[in-house]
Amino acid sequence: MLLLQLIINGIQVGALYGLTAVGFSLIFGATKIFHFAHGASFAISAYVFYYLYAVLLVWWPISILAACIVVVVFGIALDRYVYGPIQSTDGSFFTIFVGSFGVAVVIQNLIGTIFGRGFISVPSALSKSVELVPGLYVAPTAGIAVVAAVTCFVALQLFLSKTNIGIALRALSESPGLVRTFGLNPRAVSTCAFALGSVLVVPAAVLTSMTSGLNAAIGGRVMLISVAATIVGGVGSLRGAACAGLLLGIAENLALWRFDPQWSEAVTFLILFAFIVLRPSGFFGRVVTS
Amino acid sequence: MLLLRKVAVLAFSLLVSSAGRASAEDFRIGAIFPLSGANADYGDLYMGATELAVSHLNDAKFLGGKLSIAYEDSQALPQQGVIAMNKLVNVEKVSYVLSAFTGVSKAISTTAARSHTVAVNGGGVGPDLAELGEYFWNVIPLANFEVRAMAPYLVQKRGLKRFVLVYVDDPLGQSIKRELESSLPSLGAVLAEALSVPSNAQQFSGVAARVRDAKPDVVYIASFGAQQSQIIKQLRDNGVTQQLASYSGFAIPAIASLPEAKGALFTTQRIDWNSGDPVTKRFTREYQAKTNRAPTAYAANYYNAVLLFGTLASALQKAGLPITGKNLLAKRREIGTFDLVGGRVTFEKDGTIRSAMQISEVDGEPAVVEIVAAP
Repeated sequence: MLLLQLIINGIQVGALYGLTAVGFSLIFGATKIFHFAHGASFAISAYVFYYLYAVLLVWWPISILAACIVVVVFGIALDRYVYGPIQSTDGSFFTIFVGSFGVAVVIQNLIGTIFGRGFISVPSALSKSVELVPGLYVAPTAGIAVVAAVTCFVALQLFLSKTNIGIALRALSESPGLVRTFGLNPRAVSTCAFALGSVLVVPAAVLTSMTSGLNAAIGGRVMLISVAATIVGGVGSLRGAACAGLLLGIAENLALWRFDPQWSEAVTFLILFAFIVLRPSGFFGRVVTS
Repeated sequence: MLLLRKVAVLAFSLLVSSAGRASAEDFRIGAIFPLSGANADYGDLYMGATELAVSHLNDAKFLGGKLSIAYEDSQALPQQGVIAMNKLVNVEKVSYVLSAFTGVSKAISTTAARSHTVAVNGGGVGPDLAELGEYFWNVIPLANFEVRAMAPYLVQKRGLKRFVLVYVDDPLGQSIKRELESSLPSLGAVLAEALSVPSNAQQFSGVAARVRDAKPDVVYIASFGAQQSQIIKQLRDNGVTQQLASYSGFAIPAIASLPEAKGALFTTQRIDWNSGDPVTKRFTREYQAKTNRAPTAYAANYYNAVLLFGTLASALQKAGLPITGKNLLAKRREIGTFDLVGGRVTFEKDGTIRSAMQISEVDGEPAVVEIVAAP
């Protein structure tokens, strides 16, 4: 029963990892910007939801919508006012990374100043597990996490394949020049990538605020998982990032079956290391030859 | 021109040295607290108490000059603690430093010993802290005493014999594990499972599954800061209904206000907040007024640590001796017993104190359920 419990826990955690990883992968794949502040987006949306829903007692759909709006504005503002100016000079990949890292640190400290650096959580009956069969506990949040992940992923795939802006996004990752040739502005398409990638963290942020709770430094962990899932899944592959997020969540929990909890995080990096050595292109990434 | 430059340098040097003499009556001690990161709640709590003690000493003109504290942020990380300690010793030139957290305290102890700087811990409870040399003092009973108070209570008075330990893998957690392993068999109890978690872990649903699988009567949590709140919440959310117990790490407002922590038991040193002794009475009244929260053992410890410096420095002044780490140590050994918050305290030879312990239950504000005499 312990094994089954760990698999179910892993699916719930993996679904949330997948959602955050897909957002990061979308932005990185389309714009080649190492958006380290993706973790900050997660923290912002989680704290906005917490403040509205748990403190001001705003109706939950409105709270989630507000979290979406704030995080999209944050993502677009970063693209326009931080990454854009750096790219318009001779900003290297590393300069952009440092800029993004700086923003993440500032946001973490701002959140700590405003909300305190301690632990907070959104009280919800949805996070309370019920015993389905003897010894097997499942919380409603587990089902919501899986449904939210599948829905978001399917909706994203449809958007990328059926809409003009979605196709432009895919084209941007291939060739910004080609996007310009077709009369589109790569900067506008990039902004769209940031808006989409940012909004994808909201379901995971909301569910995390209910299940494991929040602290000001939570963005760092989110970022770590997103990068690992993006590499394991194959850089630029959204399907790969989603599957890798799920794999990491399940592996992290399954490690508990035989090892101490302190080794479960090491499993993430063991998988990452194995992929880098044995399959550098990841699950679904393309092999690049020079 | 060269002569003029030399005169100017000489004049500037004289000016600087005379300025130094003018402020020589003022005193500065150091404090290495977690002021940012996941454990900043503790730093905030400690600072409320140290600032109150400083204002009490300065208002009473206890020392010849004004006392102030140079705060450095350790983030509760040993590496940051060492950087802070080096700055306090080499730049600020302090002879007395307040320390917190077991890992940080152990890391700074070598610098304290080498530079003959007194380091006083009021928050870390790892038993190893009793073995860090003569310049390292503890104004808090260490975790071995806490476990020795809690384990017999749980076994004999509550009838809970099967323990599971969830501990952060650091010197504190490891020492609590050792203490439980050695003390439970003699009580007729068993440590069924000991699950170590890294200090930055935030996901504990899997840990809860392991805890449930071990079928414990009681779950002892040895973590701190934001993480221990996350452990409690996730254990409760994931079907762990058994009694929770811990050490003095639970004596913070964040735990008192966490609904899932209701009913959890934890140990601290015995302090009667309604005591009639004037030091305790004044601290209790003014701490509440200043910080708008109930006093805790941690706050009392850091208030005591500053008060201890005031007492020793004042005695050295009266004896016409400079306030150095060496002289502070000699004076502490000479005086031996001090009137602090919580009553009269005597230092052991190893620089630690022993006191009666109390077991409290989280129920909004913690309520004392048992008092255990000093060992």
